[in-house]
Amino acid sequence: MSVQPMQDAGAQQRAKTPFRPLTQVEMEKIAPTRDERLFLVLSIFIGVLSGLLVVSFRIAIEWIKILTLGSAPHAGQLRLLFVPALAGLFVAALVQLVFPGARGSGVNQTKAALYIYNGYISFKTVIGKFITAALAIGCGHSLGPEDPSLQIGAGVASMVARRLNLSRQRLRLFAPIGAAAGLAAAFNAPISAILFVIEEVIGQWSAAVLGSIVLSAISSVVVARWFWGSEPIFRIPPITLRDPRELIAYAVLGVVGGFAALVFSKALGYLRPRLRAMPHWTHYCQSGIAGLLVGSIGFFGFAQVMGPGYEVIDQAMHGQFAWKLLLALALLKILATTLSFSSGTPGGMFAPTLFIGAMLGASVGSFEKLFFPHLTGTIGAYALVGMGVLFAGFLRAPLTSVFMVLEVSGNYSIILPVILANMIAYVLSRGLQPVPIFEVFTHQDGLDLPSMEEAREELELHLEDALHPVHVPVVHGRQTIAEATQIVFAAGAAAFLVSLWDGSWYAMTADDLAAANATSTPDTPVERILPPERVPILFPDMPLDTALHYFPRWPVLPIMNRASKGTLEGVVTQDDVLHRYQEY
Amino acid sequence: MAVLQLRSALTPEERQQRQKLILRDSLALLSLFAIAILLFFVTLFLFHSFSVHRQELAKRWLLRGENAMRANKPLVAIDALRSALAYAPDDENLEIELAEALAAAGRTEEAIAYFNTLLESRPGNGMINLQLARLAAKQGEEATVIDHYQAALDGTWEGDGYVRRREVRLELAQYLIGRKRFDAARTQLLIASGNAPDDVHIEIQVAGLLEEAQDYANALRIYKKALQHRPAQLTALEGASRTAYALNRFVQAKTYLERTLNHPDFEKQPTAVQAKFRDLLSDTDHILLLYPGSQLSVRARAERTLANRKTAQERLAACLKNKQAVPPELQELAADWQHLPASLRLLQVEQNPDLEQRIMQLVYKTEQGTSQLCGAATGDDALLLKIAQASEAIEQP
Repeated sequence: MSVQPMQDAGAQQRAKTPFRPLTQVEMEKIAPTRDERLFLVLSIFIGVLSGLLVVSFRIAIEWIKILTLGSAPHAGQLRLLFVPALAGLFVAALVQLVFPGARGSGVNQTKAALYIYNGYISFKTVIGKFITAALAIGCGHSLGPEDPSLQIGAGVASMVARRLNLSRQRLRLFAPIGAAAGLAAAFNAPISAILFVIEEVIGQWSAAVLGSIVLSAISSVVVARWFWGSEPIFRIPPITLRDPRELIAYAVLGVVGGFAALVFSKALGYLRPRLRAMPHWTHYCQSGIAGLLVGSIGFFGFAQVMGPGYEVIDQAMHGQFAWKLLLALALLKILATTLSFSSGTPGGMFAPTLFIGAMLGASVGSFEKLFFPHLTGTIGAYALVGMGVLFAGFLRAPLTSVFMVLEVSGNYSIILPVILANMIAYVLSRGLQPVPIFEVFTHQDGLDLPSMEEAREELELHLEDALHPVHVPVVHGRQTIAEATQIVFAAGAAAFLVSLWDGSWYAMTADDLAAANATSTPDTPVERILPPERVPILFPDMPLDTALHYFPRWPVLPIMNRASKGTLEGVVTQDDVLHRYQEY
Repeated sequence: MAVLQLRSALTPEERQQRQKLILRDSLALLSLFAIAILLFFVTLFLFHSFSVHRQELAKRWLLRGENAMRANKPLVAIDALRSALAYAPDDENLEIELAEALAAAGRTEEAIAYFNTLLESRPGNGMINLQLARLAAKQGEEATVIDHYQAALDGTWEGDGYVRRREVRLELAQYLIGRKRFDAARTQLLIASGNAPDDVHIEIQVAGLLEEAQDYANALRIYKKALQHRPAQLTALEGASRTAYALNRFVQAKTYLERTLNHPDFEKQPTAVQAKFRDLLSDTDHILLLYPGSQLSVRARAERTLANRKTAQERLAACLKNKQAVPPELQELAADWQHLPASLRLLQVEQNPDLEQRIMQLVYKTEQGTSQLCGAATGDDALLLKIAQASEAIEQP
């Protein structure tokens, strides 16, 4: 009776103490499945929040465009000259003084957050990206909203994960989840967004994160489509492959796209580091000058290159321009985007890439239609394939480029031209410009992030690569210590394997056997002297590094056959594994 | 059990921490939910205001585009309609209007590319096919023009498909007339006429085109039909006059020409037009004075026959006189005249209708032969030649 009040008092006192953040160890102990459960729920929240933010971001861009450039900017309007210039000055000041993290497209920043800062993206960066990118793009800089959306999504994910005090490992995984959500909402195409994040941000397929990426991407697209509808950003005309000879034209498009990607990459690779290397004060006016030059292009006749240009892509897909104009627009867009992006103005490369690709594609399509009217399909099909071509050649995301076209068109009959053209552009671009553009940017920024292209193509070593035939003695568990000693010493082996009645194995050193000889009678079966633990069950197809952490305990590891329990495929030792890595 | 065991493994303080953690997580999720709701409404407000503004902009630019087209400023219209389309991308009519503006601005290549793309999404659209036909006509691709016109005729039209198809057919006929493909044009016009409602303006339009296609008989038939409407249209009267005259139906032509000249609106016509119809009436009167019609007395017919004989013989004589080497056709004509009695009295002709017939046939043959070999006929010769072209039609009702 006397204890009870004391317990109550203690409980009340504890209850009054403020909540202190728990350590990860404490968290693991009191709620071991918390992170895993929250992970999936939060993926949906991240998707919804990212979707809403990206919709607002796009509306903000459109409003800014209408308020500053007017509802229909066209050549000859003076405001085309000064609006992008003034916006550039203002945005540059914001980036330099208030939001330094908002500079650039957003893809590399998200990768940096993932690989360097444990998935940390600050709230300030998210706000800064939203404001500065919306201003720059809305005021006519030749940049797109997708990459900033990707970073905004990643930022939202990072904030949510931090708020929930998730483990560092989980925190790091949230950045790509948010990135996929942001990109999916911006592009209204979840599969492409997921693939892009896997291809370009994570670099490898990871089952641990894939489910959450899919959940968040789908959630964000559902939200975005609630507002924008299920149609892609541009209307897709009917697409058919009418004549197999058309593939020649698509191959030509692949070649043209490959060279255009090369020109675009080289231009950015040349100008961007030079502008960055200029005195710091010039960074305040570089965006303004870039805006003035881009505005001049618009003022003197090609207002279409200003802004992301989705409506122009739509017009090109619907055959509203002649092939010469389309070609001119593609070239001028390369120039305008190089100026805008190299000046450090926040904004993405996706939309300009799609724009250039669509113009080149439509140009090739229109040219074919003009000179071979019975051979070609729709101009829209060429424009769509052109977008994929530039995506593959410039952004170097071949898988995403194929699926993007398929997802956007909803038509699988176009797969052959897409694969053909994209692969030609990819191979050509890769041959002529070995380093992908995002990697070029990271090097220019002084970062050393993993190369996703290399990561995708890296061959993983497996146990079968270090496997050797069983060269150590094998003793049956029922054999006596004396018999085992005779076998092992006859073979002169430092270690041997013990085969047990239930199909399991034990690895023992000669020293262990000698010790057993000293403590047990010679007629004792070997299985009696063994501790209960057994060697881990390993199979030839498992990654080679799986074996590494077992070697401190086991001198040799038996590798089993998956089809026949207890049957050995071979053995590996620590030396075998290390030797294989050295060879690799 | 496992849950209980887990719980029992925690100290009271850890259990309390766990409860607080659950509470904190719940609150965090709740706050996330609240933020999502709040953000949703903010986004919805922004989106709604933006959508409304887009619709207003689409209407405004469409109006400007249409006004520019009406003011014959297609370049201005292109910019305006493109802007309208950017704010209302799914408006099909707007797309067609833009393509029309492109065509009107002479940007044929762009217009064709655009219309072709539109056609791919709406393959049976009559309006798009019509526009493509017009553009192909500008580029002189006759087969393509006819294909597109045909597709337009077979295609779908919104609302007034019946009227639009007839207009397309008339336009196709006009194109065929321009290309001198009168038979094909005539076929289209007869179909149009068969399907046309009882409307005087349409009848006059079809008849006019038939006249251009040199199908004077059908043109006259339709003009007559148009003249059944009261008050009689001057255009119909003029057309009936011209076609009756062209068909050598001079009795009818005289009636229509007199009605034309007496029509109250005739004086409002340009002087050249008035003079032309007066000349036609004058010629018609002369022809009817030359022609030995069945309504005339036997004597009057014989007098006209002999007078025409004299005119034709003089024409032949003059023609022979100018030729050093007489062509066989003229020799044959001269021989034919020699087979007739050299001097004929009025009574002989009156009493012998076959002779009268033979003389008139020889007169017609002479005028036709001499006009081919000795230059264009003038005066009574020209009128006799005109009669010769279809003498049997002169008195047709």
